[in-house]
Amino acid sequence: MPDIAFVKAALPKSGALVVPLAEGAAPAGLFAQADKEAGGALTRALEAAGFKGRKGQATTLWALGGFTKVVAVGLGRESELDGAAAEAAGGALIPALAQDREATVVADALAAPLAASLGLGALLRAWRFDRYRTREKEEDKPKLERLAIATAEPNAAKQAFAPMRAVADGVFLTRELVSEPPNILHPIEFAERCKGLEKLGVEVEVMGLKDLQKLGFGAMIGVAQGSQHEPRLVVMQWKGAPKNRKGTKPMAFIGKGVTFDTGGISIKPAGGMEDMKWDMAGAGTVVGLMAALAGRRAKCDVVGLVGLVENMPSGTAQRPGDVVKTYSGQTVEVINTDAEGRLVLADVIWYAQERFQPRCMIDLATLTGAIIIALGHEHAGLFSNDDDLAARILAAGQAVGEKAWRMPLGDAYDKQIRSDIADMKNVGGRPGGSITAAQFIQRFVNTKDGPMPWAHLDIAGTAWSSKDQPTVPKGATAYGVRMLDRLVAEMGEG
Amino acid sequence: MLVVRFRKTAPAGARRVLPALAGAALPEELRDAASAALFTAGHGVVLDLAPGPLLVGIGTPARLLDWEQAGAAAALALKGVPAVLLDARGLGAAEAAAMAAGMALGAWRFDAYRRIPAEEAPPRALTVLVDDARAARAAWRDASAATRACLAARDWVSEPANILTTRDFVRRLRLLSRQGIEVEVWGRKRLAREGYGALLAVGQGSASPPRLVTLRWRGTLDAPPVAFVGKGIVFDTGGISIKGAAGMEAMRADMAGAAACAGAMLALARRGSPCPAVAVLAIAENATGAASYRPGDVLRTASGRTVEVVDTDAEGRLVLADALHHAVSRFAPRAVVDLATLTGAIVTALGHHRAGLFGNDGALAAALAAAGEAVGEHLWPMPIGDAHREDLASDIADIRQCLVGRLLPDACHAAAFLRDFAGEGPWAHLDIAGVDTQDAPHALGPAGATGFGVRLLDRWVAMHHEEADHHPAPGARG
Repeated sequence: MPDIAFVKAALPKSGALVVPLAEGAAPAGLFAQADKEAGGALTRALEAAGFKGRKGQATTLWALGGFTKVVAVGLGRESELDGAAAEAAGGALIPALAQDREATVVADALAAPLAASLGLGALLRAWRFDRYRTREKEEDKPKLERLAIATAEPNAAKQAFAPMRAVADGVFLTRELVSEPPNILHPIEFAERCKGLEKLGVEVEVMGLKDLQKLGFGAMIGVAQGSQHEPRLVVMQWKGAPKNRKGTKPMAFIGKGVTFDTGGISIKPAGGMEDMKWDMAGAGTVVGLMAALAGRRAKCDVVGLVGLVENMPSGTAQRPGDVVKTYSGQTVEVINTDAEGRLVLADVIWYAQERFQPRCMIDLATLTGAIIIALGHEHAGLFSNDDDLAARILAAGQAVGEKAWRMPLGDAYDKQIRSDIADMKNVGGRPGGSITAAQFIQRFVNTKDGPMPWAHLDIAGTAWSSKDQPTVPKGATAYGVRMLDRLVAEMGEG
Repeated sequence: MLVVRFRKTAPAGARRVLPALAGAALPEELRDAASAALFTAGHGVVLDLAPGPLLVGIGTPARLLDWEQAGAAAALALKGVPAVLLDARGLGAAEAAAMAAGMALGAWRFDAYRRIPAEEAPPRALTVLVDDARAARAAWRDASAATRACLAARDWVSEPANILTTRDFVRRLRLLSRQGIEVEVWGRKRLAREGYGALLAVGQGSASPPRLVTLRWRGTLDAPPVAFVGKGIVFDTGGISIKGAAGMEAMRADMAGAAACAGAMLALARRGSPCPAVAVLAIAENATGAASYRPGDVLRTASGRTVEVVDTDAEGRLVLADALHHAVSRFAPRAVVDLATLTGAIVTALGHHRAGLFGNDGALAAALAAAGEAVGEHLWPMPIGDAHREDLASDIADIRQCLVGRLLPDACHAAAFLRDFAGEGPWAHLDIAGVDTQDAPHALGPAGATGFGVRLLDRWVAMHHEEADHHPAPGARG
């Protein structure tokens, strides 16, 4: 991963030069200077190469104007130039610089916050997970060690970049957790890694099977009981509220952390089952979010809770037909052991309310295949009992390029999970499959003692990407970390 | 349909239905029984005090729909009672008419092919006892138009596919001319001459030929028409990409979109709407045969765009492509709304309680959703994302019809596909695959065909398109 440095606006003597350009923009500043020194060769070559400055476009020119290469990246229309466009340009330059150790971006035409966003985009795109590659060829490894961003206001850019860097580190932690194979990252190991947040100032508390038994987490234990790995509940607290706001209720984030989901006795088919290592992405996102908030010293109290289990078929596994008693006291008839995420969330969500009385509660889970059939991979499904909270989440997601789409709730759907023997069953059939899952979770949102704004993000379609995106390389996306970081900034710190 | 009369005096021998508002006192002689049965006049709750009246709870009514639903609940509860008296004294004309409409919707059965035993039969005649019969009859004129039209759509959807062939469906649609609706039918030759390659391809495997039917209601306003576009697949085997056997019989209802559009036209005509409207119905049978179109075929649509077929069971979007093009190119409508039982994916997404709402125009979508709420036909907005359209890139044609595989957002793909054919004006697409029929009795009728869309479209027109438009769309040909 490259270091991102902000330096004074000056042209490098040699090496790789990166030029971010808006559509139809006339050469200006350092780029104009470089072009002039090259006798106009840069603009001529870009014209010939069909470079238009479109958002995310990248064109490489070789050995021109004394540089080994000149990479032009598009910023899109000047009138629409925002952080997202700058991030996309930053992302687009990364593949073009895979073999360069150093490069300089001439960003003197960009305001400091946009130069910082460009650096963030580059950083987010440059991340890769190569821990388990032992024979990778030298020429296949990315070489970029330092990306210098030349800007008129290096100090202002550096300042703007510092919190972005912290959020990026949160994103990377999430991506790493989600990418880790399930033989390595089981519930116990996952909980260990959560402990790593302590060095950022997060209070981390890990509870094991005995604690959960004592509490009466019957639903979560039921899911875990088929595995050799014990379940873990991890409670993370970031107490960042300034003194005058101490004692205000925290925001709570809850993540589904099924470190591997075979489906249990209702076992999944073999094709694609390997993807189920990322069935803990909700939990991974909550952990990364806590790291991001602590890393940038967010001025707000936030709690993160993750329920960590492995869902395995075995002689001790729970069966279809079992009835379990949740921490809330409500009973659930387990119809399908592959609808396990909601069982885990049921106990953790109730616990989060009992213990913290949060001001709002947002859960994340790779919960249903149905949400992929409903929305695809561009939007996560957003369910909420609170229009204001839902609107804020949608807006925060829109701002950082992590989009969500509101989905309905309602009594008609809730009826689908009525059970003949228990308070509810854990599946409601194919029709509206994501909605009935959300209805299930909503039954564990306690509004008896007053309103409890709650939102549920079904991220089954967005946690993993099968292709490269501008600032997200193929693989674990960490969808949600940036969105919720933004939400906390606007709701909790604003 | 239930025969409805409005009278100031009660006829003898009819079973009495008494609407009860939450919190309002019941007649003295009913109080003990109602209180013993814990009846609190909750919305749609029915208490049968036979041989006394049947009480139906209205709850705390906020809109006419509440009265309609109460009426439907009463009708659904009344079995083996041919003649009913609705005691609507003290109610406004609109409320009385709404209850009668609800009772007609609830009393509908499709009994063309069986005799319903007398003790199971729904009411056949309704007398509504009102204070002002003239005002009630006037309200009923409007309420009954959409009701009758909704029931016509239910009948069409219920007809089996061996009876309701493409030709038979067209024959029935021609009867709409009696209501002042112009009916134009294009057969194979005309479709071929005009280049409607997608509709022809879908229909080419069947002994029942494809048809493009255009219904036109002139109205009185000098404005471009609203356009309804309906998928009318009279039976969908899936074609060469044949469906599994289980549940295939339900595919006789795959023309519910066309039925809803035709029903909406009927509603407008019956109540003499001033709004000009057209409906373009793409009618075909998707059959498996030697002449069937194949996965891999490339079709040239009426718009000139070429389409790569990858799954012959995604035929609805193909016939709609030609029908949408027809609607926007011939009529320059002020808005286009298409209805189709299009995808299984929308059922997975929204279940059986809401239809999927897609489109290119926020105001149109909001207006349709509001009209749906008003008539109890609920929509939910769904996205067409950039990625959905990108997924449809084809190696050989302008666009690919769909994707094949697991966990695909096929309803969104279908909407992204249709958007290419819907022109530049306001367009909305209602995927009604989950709501065209119901397995169990619902708020406005028995199990079976719902007629979903008829009342919604009629209400949308009434709410938005019946006042003179000061700014007709440029280039409108009327």
